[in-house]
Amino acid sequence: MAAVSTRPVGEPGNLTAAGLLVPATIFVAIGLMVPIAILFRYSLNAFVPGQLMVDALTVANYVKFFTDPFYLQVLWRTVRVAVACTVFCLLFGFPLAYVLARTQSRYKNLLVMAIILPLFVGNAVRAAGWMVAFGSKGFVNSTLMSMGLISQPLEIMYTELAVVIGIIAVNLPFMVLTLQSVIEGIDRNVEEAAFSLGASPLTMARRVLFPLALPGILAGVILTFILAMNAYATPVLLGGPKFQTMGPLVFSTFAQQNNWPFGGAVSFILMTATLILTIASSLLIRRRYA
Amino acid sequence: MASLTLDALTKRYGDNVVVKSVSLAVRDGEFLVLLGPSGCGKTTTLRMIAGFVPPSGGSMRIGDKDITTLPPWKRNAGLVFQSYALFPHMTVNENVGFGLDMRKVDRAETTARVAEALRLVRLEGFGERYPRQLSGGQQQRVALARALVIRPDVLLLDEPLSNLDAKLRLEVRLEIRALQQQLGLTTVMVTHDQEEALTMADRLVVMSDGAVRQVGTQSDLYERPADLFVADFVGRSTMISGTVAGAGAFRSDGGLMLSCQLSSAEGAATIALRPERLTLGAAAQGLANHATGKVTFVSYLGALLDVHVRLNDTDHVVVQIPNRSDGHVPAVGDMIEVGWPASACLVFPREVA
Ligand SMILES: Nc1ncnc2c1ncn2[C@@H]1O[C@H](COP(=O)(O)OP(=O)(O)OP(=O)(O)O)[C@@H](O)[C@H]1O
Ligand SMILES: [Mg+2]
Repeated sequence: MAAVSTRPVGEPGNLTAAGLLVPATIFVAIGLMVPIAILFRYSLNAFVPGQLMVDALTVANYVKFFTDPFYLQVLWRTVRVAVACTVFCLLFGFPLAYVLARTQSRYKNLLVMAIILPLFVGNAVRAAGWMVAFGSKGFVNSTLMSMGLISQPLEIMYTELAVVIGIIAVNLPFMVLTLQSVIEGIDRNVEEAAFSLGASPLTMARRVLFPLALPGILAGVILTFILAMNAYATPVLLGGPKFQTMGPLVFSTFAQQNNWPFGGAVSFILMTATLILTIASSLLIRRRYA
Repeated sequence: MASLTLDALTKRYGDNVVVKSVSLAVRDGEFLVLLGPSGCGKTTTLRMIAGFVPPSGGSMRIGDKDITTLPPWKRNAGLVFQSYALFPHMTVNENVGFGLDMRKVDRAETTARVAEALRLVRLEGFGERYPRQLSGGQQQRVALARALVIRPDVLLLDEPLSNLDAKLRLEVRLEIRALQQQLGLTTVMVTHDQEEALTMADRLVVMSDGAVRQVGTQSDLYERPADLFVADFVGRSTMISGTVAGAGAFRSDGGLMLSCQLSSAEGAATIALRPERLTLGAAAQGLANHATGKVTFVSYLGALLDVHVRLNDTDHVVVQIPNRSDGHVPAVGDMIEVGWPASACLVFPREVA
């Protein structure tokens, strides 16, 4: 009790702080850690067709994944798509976020709404829209063909490009909003100070803006990268049945093949790959600008 | 170092003209202060010189070079912000060295010049610290060193002292002034603190509503204000309104007949009186203007006393007298003689407010 009474007025004590953490901790424990633990346990089980899951303690599922070129190809494709999407989200998102953060226009709120609006449309609905637009008899192709610009329909649907474009469209708002809030916190005068000391806009961005926006860049990259690695609706709808990525693979292994142990292993590989690449990219960005 | 010339510089935001055709010539090595009430366009003028606000009209030159359309990074103007605007992710050394880096100065020379600049602002040994590890006054001096080290053609200061406490402000303002003279820097400073303006400037520019009211030295502004606004804004004045009753004669609204300086004012006019030009007691008798009034308020300023005296129903003056402990201090309610010479009465045409 002595320790409590010497605490400055208004400073929450350890007990209060712990109390504030309890609900979130319980939620995370029950909602996330327990299923993950169960999943991990499943991934060590054996799969016998007909009997489904058999209790065991084996790494056979992991060996299967890493020795089969098909699965390695799926993992590699997923990483490739996610990296491309994240890089382009950053490249497109930063200028947009900067303008949004610095504009004095009274339409600023409208602009922010325009960025958020796509989030109201679910991924599946949006991807369906893209299918209508980009299909071989879709809006784009029929317009181009009726104008006589092309004789054969362009193959846009069911390509890696379609998936990358689709995921960028989904993830861009997250990147922009994350960056915008951080850029808004950077004193405009600091940029002007750099200009008055002789820095051109590019030099200012490289030496002052990017380093100061680093927390936002990191958060945005992590967020969009995780979303891209785990994308489901967009690769399924825009990539087609032959374009396999990790998210759909997890689902089909569980739901279509009923192979829970292997599904667990695929899930764990996806989670670990996401984690490792996220940490690697954070370190890379930090090294570059801090 | 160079002179700075503004020619009919104008800034419009929509229909709102915030800087109205300002023309100024800042001489090489001169310390010019822009003084004026809040919102009169001082910062806007300074930011146009720095290149952050494109003028709507007029032109600017540094020396013989037209800089009107030059981007800020090509102007070689050292700018010190009110908020200092230090780079939070760089050490003091890196902050000060930034401008030299941009100018591709080699490493050895950069190190030497940064050290020299920090010595000038008395911050040797602080080079490895980050801005957040410095006090407000120290940050302010880093900002100054960062602006000085590039040897700017003009140094621009926007209320550089307003975030400092009163005591530090006095110190830093002497330091800035000494440095500016030592380096012979052409300097434009913005402030709305007139004491700061009066102590630092070679010449002052009084602005109001985006327009220049008067340019001159301290004594020009104080003793020969161009208009009622300047008389009121620079130093303190008590105003007596009335009408001009002939050459050198004035009738106050309260009925006092006063002799005053000759002026071009006719009809409705206002007299501005500096409180320290007025005399109390027996000595007032011999002066051109004198009246008896009742002390309504005495404010104690330490070395000085302000005595407020009501002369009649409408006229009221403030008299500033030295506070001598042996002397007689007027008390509220006393009837007292007030006098002032004709030369203390500056007459201005009544301004339409
Ligand atoms: N970007 C802008 N858009 C519209 N009006 C502006 C803009 N910037 C400044 N103003 C207006 O211009 C006028 C002058 O502003 P300025 O900042 O130059 O005043 P100031 O003299 O520096 O005042 P203070 O002493 O309060 O700093 C103000 O009335 C302000 O509202
Ligand atoms: Mg200002």
